[in-house]
Amino acid sequence: MQDKNLSVSFQNVVAQITDIGKAWHSSDLLINARFNAQFVLNSIKDLPALDKIKQKNAIVVSAGPSLHKQNVLKQLKESHYQGTIVAIDGSLVKCLKNGIIPDYVLTLDPHPTRMIRWFGDDDFEENTRNDDYFSRQDLDVEFRNNSIRENEENIALINKYAPEIKLIICSSAPKNVVKRVQEAGFQMYWWNPIVDDPQQEQSLTREIYKTNKCPCMNTGGTVGTAAWVFANAILNIPRIALTGMDLGYHLDTPIEMTQTYYELQEFVNSRDELEALFPKFTFPLTGEVFYTDPTYFWYRNNFLQLLEKSVGETFNCSEAGTLFAENLPCKSFNEYIT
Amino acid sequence: MSNLLKGNFTTKKQVEAKKEDNESHSLQDEFKKAALNSIGGSMVYVERTDLTWSGDDE
Repeated sequence: MQDKNLSVSFQNVVAQITDIGKAWHSSDLLINARFNAQFVLNSIKDLPALDKIKQKNAIVVSAGPSLHKQNVLKQLKESHYQGTIVAIDGSLVKCLKNGIIPDYVLTLDPHPTRMIRWFGDDDFEENTRNDDYFSRQDLDVEFRNNSIRENEENIALINKYAPEIKLIICSSAPKNVVKRVQEAGFQMYWWNPIVDDPQQEQSLTREIYKTNKCPCMNTGGTVGTAAWVFANAILNIPRIALTGMDLGYHLDTPIEMTQTYYELQEFVNSRDELEALFPKFTFPLTGEVFYTDPTYFWYRNNFLQLLEKSVGETFNCSEAGTLFAENLPCKSFNEYIT
Repeated sequence: MSNLLKGNFTTKKQVEAKKEDNESHSLQDEFKKAALNSIGGSMVYVERTDLTWSGDDE
């Protein structure tokens, strides 16, 4: 671990994200789950069994910058890999554009206007007006430069392939995403997020569960981690590779492009104080330096804690980022698939 | 600090010492809320429970 040099202010922020975030979103999670209960025809309990080859290996395709920079999808397509592919909402279109149809796609985020973009958004201009969340950190240059045309193409692409894909959809999904994926024709399997200890009487997780009786999964706070939990604990696949799971930024990414830049710089007094909130990590396979921020670091800690409770092998094949530990070895993606 | 700095006059207006600690906490809280708002709904929170819960014990 390279955590020893983290500033006190950075560690304080990370330590309190969990409680603040739960208070921030708990009502959305329950409201969305209650609304979505009417659409729950199948849960992840109803998934058909995998065949022998797909049961052996899984690749989780997350949407970090390494997915593009390491040409992961091109390598995956050319490898004729036969195992299971678990993508997330944010990497689905990229997979399809590379001729890869994932077996499963995870979606989790309850945001009312942002997540719909991953499925092609009929109200794209309205939903992106006055919101630079994506344009500020968008890694898909093609999309950034031609967003309206790209969105139209994404709608057509999703409509074409959705019926072949099992969508592992969280009860927290917003109305517009649910409507869109139903219209596109995905095979939908529902689940609930574990957001606190379900054994407690006042548990929010238990309240969400009561709306639909679907199984619950821990998410680590991000859909990429949820995809890994799904592969590991629901599909019970013993050997899993993570790709596009950076949880950090390349050193050449300006901090102005990071997800919480505006808020962070508003509450520090100098450039030095600001940079202390973006600690650096050296990636063990390459010696390349990456930096993280409080949110990505929190995701990283959550993942590593969940990993300790898991069985089977997991390899980080992202070839970049901050997610590594003694029990999470890194491999090149090529080494994993050959 | 107020015990060390004592004046030999009385001010016309009531003067209150700066509440530096409280201000610092408040600023940090504001930052955290703003940061969370910026990253939107991707925050789904984790207690240190098992990877899954099936509700079968209900």
